[in-house]
Amino acid sequence: MGSGNDSILDMYLYETNTLLEQLDGILLTAEEADTFSEDSVNEIFRIMHTIKGSSAMMEFSSLMTVAHRIEDMFFIVREKGMDVVPEQTRPELFDMLFQAVDFFRGEIEKVENEEPLSQSIDHIVSKINSLIDKIQGNPGTPDSAPAPEAEQAPAADEAADAANPDYLFGVHVFFDEGSGMENLRAFMLLNGIKDYCGDFISAPENVESDPTTSDIIADQGFLIWFRTAEERDSVIPAVQNGASVREYQPVDAAAPAPAAHEAAPAASIAAPAPAQEAPKAGSAAPAPKPASAPGQQHAKESLISVNLAKLDQLLAVVSEIVITESMVTSSPDLKGLRLDNFTKSARDLRKLTDDLQDVSMSLRMVPVSGTFQKMNRIVRDMSKKLGKKAKLTLIGEDTEVDKTIVDAIGDPIMHIVRNSMDHGLEENEADRVAAGKDPVGEVILSARHTGSEVIIEIKDDGQGVDTQAVLNKAIRQGLAAPDHDYSQKEILNFLMMPGFSTNTEVTEYSGRGVGMDVVKKNVADVGGTVTISSEWGKGMTTTLKIPLTMAIMDGMEVSVGESMFTIPINSIQSSLKVTAKDVIHDPAQGEMVKIRDNFYPIIRAKELFCMEQGCDNIEEGILMWVEAGEHSYCLFVDELMGEQQIVVKPLPNYINSFGVKNYGISGCSILGDGSISIILDVINVYAAAHNAYGAF
Amino acid sequence: MPKTEEVLFATEDQIDEYTDQSPEVQTEKYLIFSSDGLMYGIKAEQVKDIITDYSITYLPQVPSYVKGVINLRGQIIPMVDIRLRLGKMPQDNFCGIVVDVDGNMVGILVDMVEQMVDVPLASILPVPTSSTNQAMVSGMCTLPDGHTMLELDCELLLHD
Repeated sequence: MGSGNDSILDMYLYETNTLLEQLDGILLTAEEADTFSEDSVNEIFRIMHTIKGSSAMMEFSSLMTVAHRIEDMFFIVREKGMDVVPEQTRPELFDMLFQAVDFFRGEIEKVENEEPLSQSIDHIVSKINSLIDKIQGNPGTPDSAPAPEAEQAPAADEAADAANPDYLFGVHVFFDEGSGMENLRAFMLLNGIKDYCGDFISAPENVESDPTTSDIIADQGFLIWFRTAEERDSVIPAVQNGASVREYQPVDAAAPAPAAHEAAPAASIAAPAPAQEAPKAGSAAPAPKPASAPGQQHAKESLISVNLAKLDQLLAVVSEIVITESMVTSSPDLKGLRLDNFTKSARDLRKLTDDLQDVSMSLRMVPVSGTFQKMNRIVRDMSKKLGKKAKLTLIGEDTEVDKTIVDAIGDPIMHIVRNSMDHGLEENEADRVAAGKDPVGEVILSARHTGSEVIIEIKDDGQGVDTQAVLNKAIRQGLAAPDHDYSQKEILNFLMMPGFSTNTEVTEYSGRGVGMDVVKKNVADVGGTVTISSEWGKGMTTTLKIPLTMAIMDGMEVSVGESMFTIPINSIQSSLKVTAKDVIHDPAQGEMVKIRDNFYPIIRAKELFCMEQGCDNIEEGILMWVEAGEHSYCLFVDELMGEQQIVVKPLPNYINSFGVKNYGISGCSILGDGSISIILDVINVYAAAHNAYGAF
Repeated sequence: MPKTEEVLFATEDQIDEYTDQSPEVQTEKYLIFSSDGLMYGIKAEQVKDIITDYSITYLPQVPSYVKGVINLRGQIIPMVDIRLRLGKMPQDNFCGIVVDVDGNMVGILVDMVEQMVDVPLASILPVPTSSTNQAMVSGMCTLPDGHTMLELDCELLLHD
């Protein structure tokens, strides 16, 4: 059943990834406090148990084994309290746990990529074992808890206690490790035994009806008790020949040992409670997150996971409805008719479709906290590795953005945070103190909404960018002209040029050829921009500006000749009519106009897009003063048609293959009358004009 | 179990009957259209629609053979003028064939759509020389009415 069907695997991956993320969060909080709270111990225990159970179900043995060992360890911690871990071994414990999380992630990635799982897990397992030894060796714990090495013996003892006083002669059976469905194997074994002797009891009971027992059996083995030693001996052949039986041993229950008494009930309580989750993972229950374990009440609402493709489909249908609605209500057939009832109903419909649209858009919105939380881990790891003390401050984690944006910004943010840790923060604490800063460096990650954009800032209080060094390097690499004066802003932009990396050394974390240019590209793919600002000695701020949703937006329709263009409302400053004498010419035949004490270049859409029709006379058309990113200019068009809410449709791949995006054509939308309007991307229009006519 | 077997055998018998009845020749349906005096064929399974009533929206910054995009029931579809694509003289055409090439829908402007024909796969012959003008033709075939059909390779039409 290992190869299973895909939905089970999907569910497994989804669940395990969620658990690992949760685990990461718990570990980071715990490390800060240098101890585990009772809740987090329980939580880790539960997570490990679930991972172990579901991995066993999927026959991912490496994951199962490691999870099992950690579960063992936390079993001890849970029983004895956190004091069982000596002060000096705690860093080791945390490191080991983080390593384990990485190991799990690596394995999960392999599963996702359908690569074989690693076989050599001795390294990590031996680490866990040595930690368990240390914990056990601690004088603070006089009585021995069930250690993994000694697992079998105490388990047998425990079992002995559980026996009914009338049934004192038992067989303790262990099934093959990872054989799965232990409860059913046990049931089959019992059926086999019935042929020899019908009078027995089993522990756990109800194996055939209760799948949660499967984990208990896998952990502690399966016990069958008989009244007499003869009866027991008579069934031994059946046990011997039983399917998947790894080993068995006869056990005789003497008078219950008082010392082991405590351990037994504890163990049997411990196992079933979290075990409820395990079978669920495997059987791909329709509701993946009913939060069955008590430790999980917080932060988990009634969630269901939905395939993203279905959501996209829903959005597409909703978009069509919005278009069709406006086609119906503004149908030319209705012109000149007085339809009171129709108008009223149309208004209601409009309201409902607006609601529908809002709801369906919000379905795709997820908070950035997931992405942000991951950075905690990166800052922690790097600060250890590089020996720089640093803390990460998160602001506005619950800012919600579209799922595609969250996916797209994860890597860029990680890269920038790494850069800040690696190159931004000072090498030595002394340097920071000398500069009058807190010896502990700080990286601030913040997210906030402005009306139509989400702004993500990654800010460090490190040494900042040495602009002279950047310029020198840019000149060396032929990116900059040696005899040109560059502004601070222009110099910082060199950082985002392909192949530029200020650090001469390649470190483990940054400078592996993936530079800020990739960051810029990733962000640009979701329609966003990256800007860097920095002050020497004070730190550096990288700002990502990303449009909130790209599917539906408010646009201004303008016409050039017979073509319609849409300019996003949020990039429009104003529209203005000018006379020929307002236009200022520069020597390179560029045109400019002065608005409120500033000069802005004029870009004629007709010329830029090589169109045959359209106004040439500046007095007949209209100027749209637009601004996006750091560019502000006036786009000259024929006529202003009005504001409209539009549904953005991506251009066909075939069209995109001609690179129209570079000319500021970012998509299109279907207007109420069925015609197509081209959506302009204000930044790229500027860039295209810049390339076509040279600098303004 | 025996019941299942019966059903199974019956089905196989039926399949045999079918294959006995129909000729052994495998055929493929082609849509024939004309452009600049030549007959071209597109596999019918690739053809999604034949359209005549639409308005093309001009798109800047694309090669001249891409006439623009159209709105086909909410889908944005690029239109390629096959005359210009093959380097022929342009002509005002209104007849478009919408084809699906690897999931990309593309409209092809042609002179006229002629007919559907069943072409035996074996009768499609390779193109003798690969001169540049025939680069988008992947095979040739003589039709029952004596015309020669050039099999259009839609993928090559889109990607050089």
